[in-house]
Amino acid sequence: MLTYIARRLLTLIPMVIVISFLIYLGLELTPGDAVSHMIPPDAYGSMDEDRLQELRESLGLGKPFLVRYWIWISGVLQGDFGYSLAGGVPISKIFLDRLPATLELSIAALLISTVLGSILGTISALTRGSLTDQSLTVVGMLGVSIPEFFFGLVAILIFALNLEWLPVGGRTLPGYDSFWDRLPHLVMPAMVLSIMMTAGVMRYARSSMLDALSRDFIRTARSKGMPEWRVNILHGFRVALTPVIVLIGFRLPVLIGGSVIIEQVFQWPGIGKEFVSAVRSQDYPLVMMVALFSVLAVLVASLIVDLLTAIIDPRVRLGD
Amino acid sequence: MEMGNDVALSVRNLKTYIYTNNRCNRALDGVSFEIRQGKTLCIVGESGCGKSVTAASIMQLLPTLSRIEDGEITYHGPDGPVRIDALERDGAKMRAIRGKEIAMIFQDPMTALNPVYSIGFQIKEMLRYHTSLGRKDRHSKAIDLLRSMGIPLPERRVDEYPHLYSGGMRQRAMIAIAMSCNPRILIADEPTTALDVTIQAQIFELMDTLKRENGTAIMLITHDMGVVAELADDVAVMYMGNIVEAGPVGKVLRKPVHPYTRALLDSIPVLGRGKDQEIKAIPGQTPDPYNRPTGCQFADRCAYRVSACDEMPPETMVADDHRVMCWRYQEFMADAAE
Repeated sequence: MLTYIARRLLTLIPMVIVISFLIYLGLELTPGDAVSHMIPPDAYGSMDEDRLQELRESLGLGKPFLVRYWIWISGVLQGDFGYSLAGGVPISKIFLDRLPATLELSIAALLISTVLGSILGTISALTRGSLTDQSLTVVGMLGVSIPEFFFGLVAILIFALNLEWLPVGGRTLPGYDSFWDRLPHLVMPAMVLSIMMTAGVMRYARSSMLDALSRDFIRTARSKGMPEWRVNILHGFRVALTPVIVLIGFRLPVLIGGSVIIEQVFQWPGIGKEFVSAVRSQDYPLVMMVALFSVLAVLVASLIVDLLTAIIDPRVRLGD
Repeated sequence: MEMGNDVALSVRNLKTYIYTNNRCNRALDGVSFEIRQGKTLCIVGESGCGKSVTAASIMQLLPTLSRIEDGEITYHGPDGPVRIDALERDGAKMRAIRGKEIAMIFQDPMTALNPVYSIGFQIKEMLRYHTSLGRKDRHSKAIDLLRSMGIPLPERRVDEYPHLYSGGMRQRAMIAIAMSCNPRILIADEPTTALDVTIQAQIFELMDTLKRENGTAIMLITHDMGVVAELADDVAVMYMGNIVEAGPVGKVLRKPVHPYTRALLDSIPVLGRGKDQEIKAIPGQTPDPYNRPTGCQFADRCAYRVSACDEMPPETMVADDHRVMCWRYQEFMADAAE
């Protein structure tokens, strides 16, 4: 098991190198460069070309592409994430400030969608064809097809403005710092962010559960004279769980992508919100780091999914 | 067949219907038989004749859209007779019988065991629900069971998962689960169909030993006449939801009085007669279960059909332990006597 984890971590290195290169290449190919962003447009037009070139040289932009990539990636590997072009703040500081908020939101949404999705999916499968199952199916289709920002706006309208149960947005109020103080702020964005994934997990858990329940070992379990709940949960759900966990792993990028929008809607001070403004202002160093971070998050998540799969399904043999 | 004290389970005029798309398949249309304590009853017949539905009816493990419409299933347990058909499918009383008193092993050991639990867990689960053994006792009992089923290194194997077992070993493990609470009746639904011939023999030998040592009554569903000849005490031949002929193995196999039984026996290739021997396949196909003949179900394929066959023949006793459903049984009896 440990050798497997070590090996998986080692295979992450070439993947990160390839992906970071693609990120760098992608931004290299976009029009404009750092200098064109740093200088206000009106001044840019009147500046003489030699002066601009000088500025580029001083920023290291005159060097060949591969050399610049090397300087960037070796810096990143040593913990030097560079500086944001907007305000010259170290990117590591932005990450430290913003990352906890994004992680908090994503993990909350992940937990909600996993737990709620599998429970509702299981109920749906166990009551197949009933009114419960049919209404859950309709709700599931709605959840998958309606975009999250719409849910976000509706939720704000109902729960924040009309009912005044929850705050409109933000992560906290000045002076309130404990997790419990922040919790009301988290509820709405996390719920809204999890809707689409909950619906997906629910539909998937339902079919996975139906598949498990139709297998022969369910009949064997029944033939032992065990109560229905034990047959359904211990034998059915446990087997149905493996594909659901794999699905959740694959859906993680969706969650990260979704949090970019939700953070905007709820004024959540996370990395996603920072990402949008960085893209808009061509803040390349920051865009690259956020992109690289998302990739890492997905890779680590898929590693965790593989390990979980191995734990719950003995047929998946790891390492030795 | 007279009801004796040694009867473990009796089935009377059992009718189980299966419903699909508003159509009704009368899968069992009046089936009666008895399983005697310490004896093996073999149920033979073609695919779809109702063998497995019979087993499922006894265990109350029928699919959702099927129902026992009529008849009686009586389990003669240590506490007196219990009407199984009157019990709630998943009620506590049915569950107390299922597994403890009547246990079952299934056709395909590859899929009948849950892949995510160890063999030991799946044995201990049974012990947990039907015995008062503690955790440690359950574990050692599971090891003992595996050992008595001939699994090598049971102390280690007990914690292994089904995918590490071979097909034959899985079926042994399955039998270990079924036998764990010393059931009075063991129902085996084609237990060796998915196994190699050499493994088949071992499994049957194991079942025979269990029968002799524990006095377990066995109901063995099969379509292999060789197995019947080898293992059975009693035989019931099924065709389209009826038992067309039933009796002790010697009488049914040596002096069959139903044309279907005869046709079945004639269709078996015999070792030693060479490759040119004539194998008499039964002509035609089994009728559509949703569109059955009104009379004798076998009439369309029967070489001895007469006009009387348009009516369903009654069950007739040709000896005190030999029963047949055929209008022309007297002719066949005379023929068999020659």
